Amino acid sequence: MDNVQYTQMTDYNTSPVFDMDKALNRVHGKQELLARVISIFKKNLQEKKQSIASELTAENWDNLKMISHSLKGSAWTIGAQRLGEIAYAMEKASATEDISSFKHLLTILEESIDDINTYFEHHNY
Amino acid sequence: MKKNNIRFLIVEDDEMIRIIHKDFLEELFPDCKIFEAANAAQGICLYFECRPHLILLDMMMPLMGGETFLDILEEGHRTKILKEKPKIVIVTAIKDVKELMEIGKRFSVEAVISKPLVQSQLKALLEDWIS
Repeated sequence: MDNVQYTQMTDYNTSPVFDMDKALNRVHGKQELLARVISIFKKNLQEKKQSIASELTAENWDNLKMISHSLKGSAWTIGAQRLGEIAYAMEKASATEDISSFKHLLTILEESIDDINTYFEHHNY
Repeated sequence: MKKNNIRFLIVEDDEMIRIIHKDFLEELFPDCKIFEAANAAQGICLYFECRPHLILLDMMMPLMGGETFLDILEEGHRTKILKEKPKIVIVTAIKDVKELMEIGKRFSVEAVISKPLVQSQLKALLEDWIS
């Protein structure tokens, strides 16, 4: 019987999907610059999601740790708090090569990526 | 260090973060020159090309990370191939305290700042160094 207690999406719901004030503050209130960095962030998010999937197949833990770490840094920088926290948990799961936790977190990450993309669409980014 | 013509090198794999760093530096020092590298290998090449006064360095990067960058510069100083000692500020998302302390103890490192970068922290440092 599997007694492992996984984190759930609801565990991350207290963190905002996107903190607009933080993001604007980061770019000194420059809307054009914010649009540019969000566009790069969205592109990178898709690339990282695909890289995680392929590295997971190969169980390449060093690369998984690197990608999760990078995702954490960029997410927190731009104010994508929830994604940053999930990526941080993935980075820790990579360090211990905990494949079941990592796979579980990946499903939460995918859901969270959908949420942030919806947020960006609603805000015309 | 004088404000006019100050040269910065940003070594950071994330394009978005490079843009944010660059905008921050340009706001603070409109006359500065900024060079950008996406990994430590590019960073080393640019270092020899542009001789920056100040370097913002990420640690975990693909191909070659910040640690190797520091190793190469420190070896250059040890063997006296490098005369100038640029100020290196580590900007990293590493959260492990021991690891951060080890980085901070390195000869070439002036300061370690956590990501997400608190720009006021970096501003205070830079204003202290640059007149």
